[in-house]
Amino acid sequence: MDDLERDGLGRDGLESDEFERELKQAFERRPAPPSLKRKLMDRRSRQRTERLHLRKVMWERLAACLVLAALVGGGFEWHQREEQRKGEAARQQVFTALRITNHALNQVKAQLAEHDRDRQE
Amino acid sequence: MARDWQPDFEQLVDEHQSMVFSLALRMTGDRGLAEEIAQDVFLELDRHLGRIESPLHALHWLRRVAMSRSADALRRRKVRGMDLWVEMEDGYGARVEERCSPIGVRLEQLLATLPEPQRAALILRYQEDLTPEEIAATLEAPLATVKSHLQRGLKLLRAKAASNLKDYIRTATTG
Repeated sequence: MDDLERDGLGRDGLESDEFERELKQAFERRPAPPSLKRKLMDRRSRQRTERLHLRKVMWERLAACLVLAALVGGGFEWHQREEQRKGEAARQQVFTALRITNHALNQVKAQLAEHDRDRQE
Repeated sequence: MARDWQPDFEQLVDEHQSMVFSLALRMTGDRGLAEEIAQDVFLELDRHLGRIESPLHALHWLRRVAMSRSADALRRRKVRGMDLWVEMEDGYGARVEERCSPIGVRLEQLLATLPEPQRAALILRYQEDLTPEEIAATLEAPLATVKSHLQRGLKLLRAKAASNLKDYIRTATTG
C-alpha cells in the first residue's frame, strides 16, 4: 500500500484500482515526434556556432579595447614626458638667461665701482 | 574528485525525449508547443551538462525543468488569452486514438479540464509513477499541498469520468 492509498485515494477498492490502472495506461509516455531530435540537434549546433561567434566577437572587442587603452595610455605618457622635457628646457633657458643677466650686472657693477673710484681720486 | 559518469547529450536525448515531450504535451495540450518546450529543456540541459552528476540526476533534472517550463508556457499563453487545451480536444485526440484505448483518450481529455496544479500532480503520479514525496521534490512544492492536489485531482477526475464515460460507453454501445 503506497502513500496515496494510505491517504484514501484508492479507498473504493477494486473499482478504484481499475480506474487507477486505466489512468496509468492512458498516461503512458507518448513517443516523441521523430523530427524532435533532428530539430534539437540543429538548434544545438546553431546555438553553439552563435556562442562561438559571440565569444570570438567578445575577444575581438576585448583585444580592441586593450589596444585602445594601450594607445591612450601611451599617448598620455608621451604627452607627460614631452611636457616634462619642455619644462626642463624652459628652466634651463631661464637659468642661462639669469646667468647672463647676472654676469652683465656684475660687469656694470664693476664698471660703476671703477667709475666711482676715478671720481674720488 | 573525478566523476565516473560522463554525460552524453545525444544518449540523454534518446533516453528521455519521450518523457520530456509527454510531460510537456499533457501539461500544455499543444503538440507544437510541447515539441518546442522539449527542445528548450534539452538545450538548457546542454548548457548545464557539466553540473549533471549521474543518470538519475539527469532524469530528475529533466522532469523538474520540463514541468517548470510547461507551467511557464501555460502562464504565458494565459496572459495572451489563449486556451491551449482546445487544440488537444480537437486535434490531438485523433492522433492519440491510434495508439490508445477510447477510454484512455477520454481520460486524457478529462485530465485537460483539471486545474493546472492538480493536472501536474496527476501526470507525475500516473505517467512517471512517482510517489507524493518525489512529486513534491519535482514541483518544489510542500508535500501536504501535493497530496491535496492528488486527492482533489483524482476525486474530480473520477467524478468527471463517472458521468462522461458512462455517456461515452452508452453512446459507443448504441452507436
